[in-house]
Amino acid sequence: MKRSFASSYRLVLVCVLVMAAFSGIGVRLVYLQVIDRDRYVAEVERTRKRVQVMSARRGEIRDANGNVFATNRSFIEVGVDPQAIKPEDEARAPQLARLLGVSQADVLEAFRRKTQVAPETQEMRQIRWTKLAPAVEEPIYEQVLGLGIKGVYGNRQFRRVYPDGTRAAHVVGYVNREGTAVMGVESFLDFYLRGQDGWVESERDGLRRELAQFRAREIEPVDGHNAILSIDSVVQTYIEQEMRELVRRFNPLGASIIVSDPRDGFILGLANYPTFDLNEFNKADIASQRNISVTDIFEPGSTFKIVPGAAALNEGLVTASSRFDCSEDTMQFRGRTVRLPRDSHDHGIMTVQEIIELSSNRGAARLGGLLGEDRLYKYARAFGFGETSGFALGGEVSGMLAPVKNWDGLTISRMPMGHAIGATPLQVHMAMASIANGGVLMRPQVVRRIEDKDGVIVHEFSPVQRRRVVRPETAELMQRLLVGVVSPKGTAPRAVIPGYEVAGKTGTTQKIIDGRYSSSHHVGSFVGFFPASRPRLVISVIIDDARLNGTAYGATVAGPSFKVIAEQLIQYYGISPTQPLPGNGAAVAQNGANRPSGRDRIR
Amino acid sequence: MAVAERESQLPMFNWVQQRTHWRIDPVTPLCMAILSAIGVCFIYSAQVFTGGNLYLQQIGWIGIGAVVYVGVSLVNYRHYLRHSHWFMMAAVPMLALVFIPGIGVELFNAQRWIKVPGLGTTIQPSEPAKIAVLVVCASILARSRIGTLSRSMWTLGKLALAAGVPMALIMAQPDLGSALVILPMVLALLYASNLSHRFFLGALAAVTLTVGVVALDAYYYNRFLDENRIDPKDSARGNLYGSDHSWLPYLKDYQRNRVLSYAMPDKIDPRGISYNINQTLITVGSGGLVGKGWTEGTQARLGYLPRAVAPNDFIFSVLAEEKGFLGSVTVLGLLSVILANGVRIASLARDRFGTLLCLGATTLLAVHVFVNIGMTIGLLPIKGLPLPFLSHGGSFLLSCCILQGLVQSVYRFRKEF
Repeated sequence: MKRSFASSYRLVLVCVLVMAAFSGIGVRLVYLQVIDRDRYVAEVERTRKRVQVMSARRGEIRDANGNVFATNRSFIEVGVDPQAIKPEDEARAPQLARLLGVSQADVLEAFRRKTQVAPETQEMRQIRWTKLAPAVEEPIYEQVLGLGIKGVYGNRQFRRVYPDGTRAAHVVGYVNREGTAVMGVESFLDFYLRGQDGWVESERDGLRRELAQFRAREIEPVDGHNAILSIDSVVQTYIEQEMRELVRRFNPLGASIIVSDPRDGFILGLANYPTFDLNEFNKADIASQRNISVTDIFEPGSTFKIVPGAAALNEGLVTASSRFDCSEDTMQFRGRTVRLPRDSHDHGIMTVQEIIELSSNRGAARLGGLLGEDRLYKYARAFGFGETSGFALGGEVSGMLAPVKNWDGLTISRMPMGHAIGATPLQVHMAMASIANGGVLMRPQVVRRIEDKDGVIVHEFSPVQRRRVVRPETAELMQRLLVGVVSPKGTAPRAVIPGYEVAGKTGTTQKIIDGRYSSSHHVGSFVGFFPASRPRLVISVIIDDARLNGTAYGATVAGPSFKVIAEQLIQYYGISPTQPLPGNGAAVAQNGANRPSGRDRIR
Repeated sequence: MAVAERESQLPMFNWVQQRTHWRIDPVTPLCMAILSAIGVCFIYSAQVFTGGNLYLQQIGWIGIGAVVYVGVSLVNYRHYLRHSHWFMMAAVPMLALVFIPGIGVELFNAQRWIKVPGLGTTIQPSEPAKIAVLVVCASILARSRIGTLSRSMWTLGKLALAAGVPMALIMAQPDLGSALVILPMVLALLYASNLSHRFFLGALAAVTLTVGVVALDAYYYNRFLDENRIDPKDSARGNLYGSDHSWLPYLKDYQRNRVLSYAMPDKIDPRGISYNINQTLITVGSGGLVGKGWTEGTQARLGYLPRAVAPNDFIFSVLAEEKGFLGSVTVLGLLSVILANGVRIASLARDRFGTLLCLGATTLLAVHVFVNIGMTIGLLPIKGLPLPFLSHGGSFLLSCCILQGLVQSVYRFRKEF
């Protein structure tokens, strides 16, 4: 019988159709399972694997007495996943709002607003997290969880806090919002402070629940170590008080006060102006965040005279009583006539002692001439000029000390008075500290030790000698000569502290404004130490462009501050007087000057 | 009518054996057995992590299915030609029972199941309805001569009634997927009956038009969502667009979301509607060439593939993940063998009714396979259609066994000329 229906061509067509459909499935399977397999496998891993970081607690930064400069506060950022909010959860919104201290309307808004328009694509996106409260304390968070709203949860975080935000700001430094230590000790000791974050690696199921049985690895966080600074918060407080006073009186462009122990080079206090609040670093301009004690250079001026003075004495070229005629305005140097700088007034014939005490520019130039370029340069280097001091906190510059071949004809007469050289406040401070330390230049340090959280010492920073600059006898002689500076007849009578031999040197330099020395803008400085015979503290006060009527001499603007600070520190450290109180500061200096008997007279 | 005469000569109570020599097609039952076994394995695997006895249930259903299969294949299919209206008489009231409270079971916002008293189980009346529509349509077409479109109008009208009533009832459950399965089957029967090409061109045009309308609607729906900043997933808004703004009020918003999740899965969030698509693609794709190993599939195990659907509608994902490309192709091959065998038996049959029964059963199977696997691998929108012989589910397994039993019956009782 002939089939009257379903022609074979129609059957074939149906078969072809079905086969085409199945081929489509086959091709798609090849794509999915063979070609794109890796992508999907990666996707599986990605969605399943859950790595939860447990933040390590960052170590504290403390001062020498254990006062906290930088610590952490633990808090919980609470937010809501609106996708997980069920309509019945809204009934608990008032309680939640009350616990978090936000308005009920805000909570409801966060609950209900489930989508937002992505700014870059204008597409609707689901909101998976809306912050409700940025920082919630632990007990409150417990209560929040107790409400049982599934979509509301928090992330525990540590926030770095600086209890007294401006204190020693440039030394302590800060950690920015991304957790990167930016400057100061925070940055220098970041390796020790940051600790090691722990993590839990586990898998989670399709409902995002953690599967504890697949917990692959669990690494406990290791808390960071604590850094113990040499900074003493009492000293720091004193100098910051004085800094505020200076700013109030003189409104300078900038200022630095540094206090250190000359015997080991550890810095006890360091304050700069301008400064900033570590807790609000993001609002402070960059200029105020610079530790200008090491980043900025100035012409040290007369404070540099300790270099040619000590050098000439150390080389045996002069004694304290060697005499120079300082009325001459030229000197012969290597067969040519060099013009000498001017003094404030004509001193006539001066001893080396008087050159230092009265800060004679011509006298210093004559000492420079005696030394010659190479020795002057060598001693300047030896005192730490033209090189970084090894101050660990970073940003330090080496200053400017031109090699001899680049000197011009006047340099030999100008460098001894601290011109034609650029130095950081810390370099000047450390140079003076080396005199106080018997002629040995130390490395300035601010960190005493690193302890773990139980107080076990992990690393201790010991004093580092950089080099011997001058012989101990020379240093001792310089100490005595510098006591003469701080005496009624010296340049810094206002720094005299009765009963204590104070040694020091003033400095006043005209600032270079538009390429020439200005007569109205000065850097005034005073660097001193005491007691002169057994130096305990070196204090530098350097004020850039103090605004006052008349010249901002170092003796006028910086000297009194030195005295205020020194008197407070004498009290604090209980330093006993070295002289009977009604005594005369000049007596020691005179003794010192008399001793070398004027044997090597130059002229 | 020659066919009707022959029909009347059949002994009424000797349904089972009226031939002298015994013959049987072994290919289809063998493939069915293998596929069912595979199905049990992966139903077990889908539940191995959470625990569950669905695979045991399935074994029970397979046992019943085997008995039904044998039973149906022992009956001469030609008896149905005459009594096909009884199928419809049984199927339509069953479909109606779904809507009667106390008997119909509501699950997932749809009434698709009825309770079977005493058995403590539920069945899905849309499954027997598919069989009924097949048998009725095949018998209508076997009795009537189909020629040009104009001369076949009466027959087409009867067909429209026979297929349309059950489809409407199923759609009302609502179960659009099951209802739409019937359509290609009827079309296949018509095609095999030499209905003029004009009809099919018209049908093609109608389908194209429908797809176009739906696509346009989806486009406006998408724009509506964007303009009003509405989250498509926000179930609280209900059928907002469908009821108030659309010129296609019959389409519900959840159905529009499915269209969108198929057309633009990124639009709808990854954890929402298109979650199933994304996860099933990830599941299948991560299986790779040879798979992760039986019961080792993490996607199904950890519930990324929704646990409720993994053993039934998404069983292919589980298999593809754990046995990879090779496993998928094996299953696909076995199913293809059944389909090809169905077509072969259809062409062996020397009477219209037999041919149409085989073709219809094969088409139903092919549509299920294609739609199910197609949605699993992202070729088609997500439609709740199970995969024959593999998916968990008694009604569907039984209906597949009955359909294949019909094919076997055609093989066994066909006339040889």
